[in-house]
Amino acid sequence: MTITLILEQTFNGLQAGVTLFLVAAGLTLILGIMDFVFLAHGAQVMIGAYAAAAIAEASGNFYIGLILAIPVTFASGYLLEYLLIRHLYRRDHMEQVLATFGLILFFNELIRVGFGPAALYSDLPPSLSGFVEILPGTPYPVYRLGVIVAGLACALAIHLLVVHTRIGAMVRAGANNPEMTAALGINIKILFRFIFAVGACLAGIAGMLLGPLTSVQPGMGEPLLILSLVVIIIGGIGSVRGAFIAAIIVGLVDTLGRVFLPGLLRLVVDQSTADGAGPALASMLVYILMAAVLIFRPTGLFPAKG
Amino acid sequence: MNRPSTVLALIISAMRANRLLWGLIAGFALFPILTYTADLPFWNDIAMRIMLLGMAAMGLNLVLGYGGMVSFGHAAFIGIGAYCVGISQFYGLTNGWAHLAISILACGVAGLIIGYLALRTTGIYFIMITLAFAQMLFFLFVSLESFGGDDGMSIDRADFLLVDLYDPHRLYFLIWLCLSFVALALMLIVRSRFGVTLAAIKSNESRIEAMGLFPLRYKMTAYVISAVICGIAGTLFASWQEYVSPDIMHWTRSGELMIIIILGGLGTIAGPLVGAIVFLLLEEILPIMLGSIAPAYAENWMIIFGPLLIMVVLFGRGGLTGLLARWEKAGRTGTRHENRP
Repeated sequence: MTITLILEQTFNGLQAGVTLFLVAAGLTLILGIMDFVFLAHGAQVMIGAYAAAAIAEASGNFYIGLILAIPVTFASGYLLEYLLIRHLYRRDHMEQVLATFGLILFFNELIRVGFGPAALYSDLPPSLSGFVEILPGTPYPVYRLGVIVAGLACALAIHLLVVHTRIGAMVRAGANNPEMTAALGINIKILFRFIFAVGACLAGIAGMLLGPLTSVQPGMGEPLLILSLVVIIIGGIGSVRGAFIAAIIVGLVDTLGRVFLPGLLRLVVDQSTADGAGPALASMLVYILMAAVLIFRPTGLFPAKG
Repeated sequence: MNRPSTVLALIISAMRANRLLWGLIAGFALFPILTYTADLPFWNDIAMRIMLLGMAAMGLNLVLGYGGMVSFGHAAFIGIGAYCVGISQFYGLTNGWAHLAISILACGVAGLIIGYLALRTTGIYFIMITLAFAQMLFFLFVSLESFGGDDGMSIDRADFLLVDLYDPHRLYFLIWLCLSFVALALMLIVRSRFGVTLAAIKSNESRIEAMGLFPLRYKMTAYVISAVICGIAGTLFASWQEYVSPDIMHWTRSGELMIIIILGGLGTIAGPLVGAIVFLLLEEILPIMLGSIAPAYAENWMIIFGPLLIMVVLFGRGGLTGLLARWEKAGRTGTRHENRP
């Protein structure tokens, strides 16, 4: 029973971790390379989820929704960069915060006008709604397993892109020293737009994958945005590898902490104190982790800038 | 140096230097007469909200505008201030002055801890860390079931000894008094040696360090002062709302405070108050305007407000006080018309 529970929750933690990574991967590059505070990254998650849900609804096929939503999120990121963001790179951080805060308000309201304030629920196709046994006697939802696999596949693709391609070399150079990269004759404007669109696309994929698990509603990306900021601080700004490791850590710590911390506390202190403090402590756990990382490594575990 | 007459002279010269601010504060003092004669008590409520948010934004502005530290988590201190009232009442302490003292202490300690950790970093890291700490406190209060958790807890208006706050005008003037006090205190702080050093650190930190001062001490002090001011605003906010929930420290409120400061003008004492007036009036007026064009969408006024913010960032440098200052300057030198394209 306990082994089953631990295994199940570990998988849940992994699933939370990989989706968190999809959001954080693009954002860490946007923060690190462009030095741009992009708070509306959560809106990209929402756009992805709504695009997938709406297309699936219209076409009647869940997979078509997923596949067609990817170019939609890519295009939304590309357009957003072209129309607004590129004018804000040279502004100071506070102005960037304000402008992207305005974007959040705008997108949330746009979705509310377009789709209504109520949450959308998308049904899973029968092939994805069953259970598989990950160990004998331990059933686990197929869809959550699929999310883990899809997330890991995306992570692998990003890894290959960043480490083994020419574009990846430019991205890494850009993260390390943008001015020098530009001086070497690399078109940094196009590079920025590409990174932005890919980042938006990844966040959108996270939204699509999460759609059937949570409710698709305005503002759904914001809790993810904030957790992914924690991930980026822990992993080091601008480091995709750091984002991956930190995302898995944060996903596991958050999920396992919520489930097991109250029980563990009961071993140390009396029941009533544990029941009161357990959930409170569990919800603060990732932030405490972040504070600890900050004290010992103020630039994160894998700082990109050398 | 600290003879009473010198202090008084300092205060008077500080007040003279910022006529806009004291004009606004005098306006707030007279405003209830207007709403009383016109029988519009609803606008009293809005004025109280303006003063409360303006006060909190003034506190944040010390860090943001004068110190150049972009804190994105000051809503947490408003929340701590408000919860100090709720939790004190939960344990039977009803004296408002005691609440105020507890809030100031709690926000001072919280500001010290968060400031100590966050000020180890700069730039984007600082923004995100202050945000993350605010979220941590948000989730802490969400999960504290005994204090209402997600639903929050209702509060009796605190008992401020001589002042019975169930008379709406008394609450109004208590808030007004605190606002004036905060404005005056900030004005003296900004003009003091400490304030000048803080501004110097903003423009060139390593130079100040080379002069043998410790920038971190100044930044920490400013951070704690601003946290305490937000805490005072939060304490009064709780009494005004007669209710406190984690919503009061939602991260969008930190964003609101920043909007208010930038709308009004960064690094001026009057700016946050001007910003609060404009922000809350827009919040009232935009739905009405939108409702008259497209009645079905009156609630969706944010769809206009969002792009409006982006416009302010793209085209409005210095906020509204900056605009006023430019206008006044142009008027004084008689070049207002020549400046036209």
